[in-house]
Amino acid sequence: MQYQMNEFLFAMILTELEDAVGKENCSTRAIDKVTHSVDYYWLSRMWADRGCRMPEADFVVCPKDATEVSKVLKIANYYKIPVTTWGAGGGTQGGAIPVAGGIILDTKRMNKIYEVNTDSMYIECGTGAIYKHIEWAANEVGKATMHYPSSLTCSTVGGFLAHRGIGVCSTKYGKIDDMVLQMEVVLPNGDIINTSPAPKHAAGPDLNQIFIGSEGTLGIITKAQIRIFDQPEVRRFRGFLFQDMTGAFKASRELLQKFKPSVMRLYDEAETASLIKKIVGVERKGAFMNIAYEGVKELVDVEERILLETFKKYGAEDLGSEYGEKWWKEKITFFYPGHMMDIPQCFGTMDTIAPYDKIEEIYWAMKEAIETNFPQAKFIAHFSHWYEWGAMIYDRFIVDGKDVPQDPVEALRLHQEIWTCGVRTALAHGGVVNDHHGVGIKLGRLMKEQYGPAMQVFEGIKKTLDPNGIMNPFKLGL
Amino acid sequence: MNMSEKCKQHVDSCRFCWMCHHICPIGNATGHERSTARARALGISLVNRGAIELDEIMDNIYECCTCGACVHDCTTGWDPVMFTKEVRLRAALENKLPEYINILLDNCLNTGSAYGKTELCDDLTAALKVHADKTDILLYLGVDARYMVCKQAVKAIKVLEDADVKFTVLENEPASGAQLDFLIGAANETKEQMTACAKALDEFKTVVVYDPNDAKAIKQTFKEYGVETKAEIITYTAFLAKLHDEGKLRAKSTGKTVVFQDPYQLSRDLGETEEARKVISAFAELHEMLLNRAETVWAGNILMAEYLPEVINEVSARRLYNAESIGETAVVTACVSEYAALKNVEQNEIEILSIEDLILD
Repeated sequence: MQYQMNEFLFAMILTELEDAVGKENCSTRAIDKVTHSVDYYWLSRMWADRGCRMPEADFVVCPKDATEVSKVLKIANYYKIPVTTWGAGGGTQGGAIPVAGGIILDTKRMNKIYEVNTDSMYIECGTGAIYKHIEWAANEVGKATMHYPSSLTCSTVGGFLAHRGIGVCSTKYGKIDDMVLQMEVVLPNGDIINTSPAPKHAAGPDLNQIFIGSEGTLGIITKAQIRIFDQPEVRRFRGFLFQDMTGAFKASRELLQKFKPSVMRLYDEAETASLIKKIVGVERKGAFMNIAYEGVKELVDVEERILLETFKKYGAEDLGSEYGEKWWKEKITFFYPGHMMDIPQCFGTMDTIAPYDKIEEIYWAMKEAIETNFPQAKFIAHFSHWYEWGAMIYDRFIVDGKDVPQDPVEALRLHQEIWTCGVRTALAHGGVVNDHHGVGIKLGRLMKEQYGPAMQVFEGIKKTLDPNGIMNPFKLGL
Repeated sequence: MNMSEKCKQHVDSCRFCWMCHHICPIGNATGHERSTARARALGISLVNRGAIELDEIMDNIYECCTCGACVHDCTTGWDPVMFTKEVRLRAALENKLPEYINILLDNCLNTGSAYGKTELCDDLTAALKVHADKTDILLYLGVDARYMVCKQAVKAIKVLEDADVKFTVLENEPASGAQLDFLIGAANETKEQMTACAKALDEFKTVVVYDPNDAKAIKQTFKEYGVETKAEIITYTAFLAKLHDEGKLRAKSTGKTVVFQDPYQLSRDLGETEEARKVISAFAELHEMLLNRAETVWAGNILMAEYLPEVINEVSARRLYNAESIGETAVVTACVSEYAALKNVEQNEIEILSIEDLILD
């Protein structure tokens, strides 16, 4: 990639970008550059908190559709300018930060809802739509997206697709990569393509899955058909208290061979004693688990019986429905300022996923690695996405503000070291770099450690689609 | 920038929080990241830390309509409107207001309205003459109705006339201070304008406030700024509901199926949601659109259209889309400024009515 800017070229390129998206949608104003330079990534927040400015784009463009995106990418390719795609900035991995300058392509003007199709059960929308908006569109016709992450109100459809996001009802309804039918993608050279009209085909590899999770390094997803579901007749909750997590894992594995609840959340003893006590009100020692099961009433009655019988076998104390309902009501409250970790603390969520025979071992290994190597750090976790074969750990480290260096470079170093330690431990015990927050710039360096020679597959696709390397440089390890 | 500690705390809480991203009518209309509460907080926090200059964020500070959707949505009680208004005040004190705001401000101070108009339309002038005599009840029209949408002001008067209400309308109505409050917050000039208004209102037993923006100022902001009124203050919609209860509105079905656009000043700030519905239901079949009552989405206004006309047009168009998407034939407004903004949208799909239009139909 060659990227040189001088005053003359800057002015030239600006006029071309204005021509592509309209003057009012192309900005070089400080407020636009600054607000696209800090996302939810701790390092960017810390940097700003210390009064430093993060790397900024030279241009902020807001195209309205794939045609305008195509024009922007053609300009960028010609001048070999980096292009970083920005949805709503709610990512935790720094994936949307324009670390190499160039163009920020903000997708939020591509927020049109083109179709609510209740025959084939999907909504077709621009990927700049905030997910909550498509949930509202689904609700208006009595349906639901069933994609309910904590960032539902603050992330775009494209953002979830870009880093393989997930919501709290994942066990029954799937991850974002299960929720897409067809997508429109603009390739780095400006070509506009559509993936297969339907998923689950045998017409070669799944193009959807090449672009989902690619974090803007292979192209820009501009339109998607997102699945919708009938609202459940009933949604019930049940809270349980396990004496330890081992029993909870055994019980959950057995349960998942029988039916799929919508929500499954197991909190370790530390998180039960902190977050769950504070927000849900469970003031007991042990590991709290919340299960939601939903659908047609007759089936839910049967599922409830199976759930109670199965969990009883493993010594779970039935806490009734109250705590689970409270949890559902407050499921996003956990993430508001005042409840969530925030600056001046140093923190991170090292979500990883593994089969059942490895997942608990990973938890204990990560906990020991973090707490031994960084005694100033607290390690808490919950397990929030469950499958027939395994589960994910949503584990967090938290360092008190008093133990975080004021010097931003030193604070960055501490953050990096903790992350490297935690993720390497996960990898060494059979985990992955990340479960659903993505890779971004935060974890790119660890991708080769996970994939080894398999990384050349990603690199080959990248070189073919983006020979000038303009798409979101330094992300995803590409 | 010299900010209160309270505001700094709110700024620093919001600067890295995205939770209200979906609810901002301006942000949803522009699709621009800077239009969000967190972006505004981030910009202010960087000014406070010396990383950027106040001048560089001032346009952005005036892109907020102060509708309070973000405040209402925040589970933990952070208040982006509060710090936005404080920055406006600080900028005014430091002579750093954008030029287009200075023009509106000067107009407010010199003429009482941001639009700088002093002449009323002929119909309204004639209507005012009929109601010049002092009575117990004052109908307070407000600057938007008097100078920008005078036909609606005349209709508002007509509705009360038809209900046999004896009332006064002032020829020289003092400004409520609502526009100054929007432009520069709790400045001395704002409080002075409010104090003068309160004094004029106190000449009456009851004041019926036509524009929800003025109603919010008089019923709520006056108190916050230590300005007292002795008169009973009632919103126009609540007064209509009272007249309806007394059988004075002569309810009849218009055969229309409508949705109601809740003005945020009534629904969120004053907690008044059912009064207008009661009146509308007497004249039409009322359905509900997405995001109603306290969840309402601001549909634009006249004041911001003075400096952001295209953005406000898009805001209004998006709200009309909510009404259209449930297939109703008309949207009824209770805020003259929203009425004007919605009327400005080029579309033929849905009829836009004020409550007065519906009653006089």
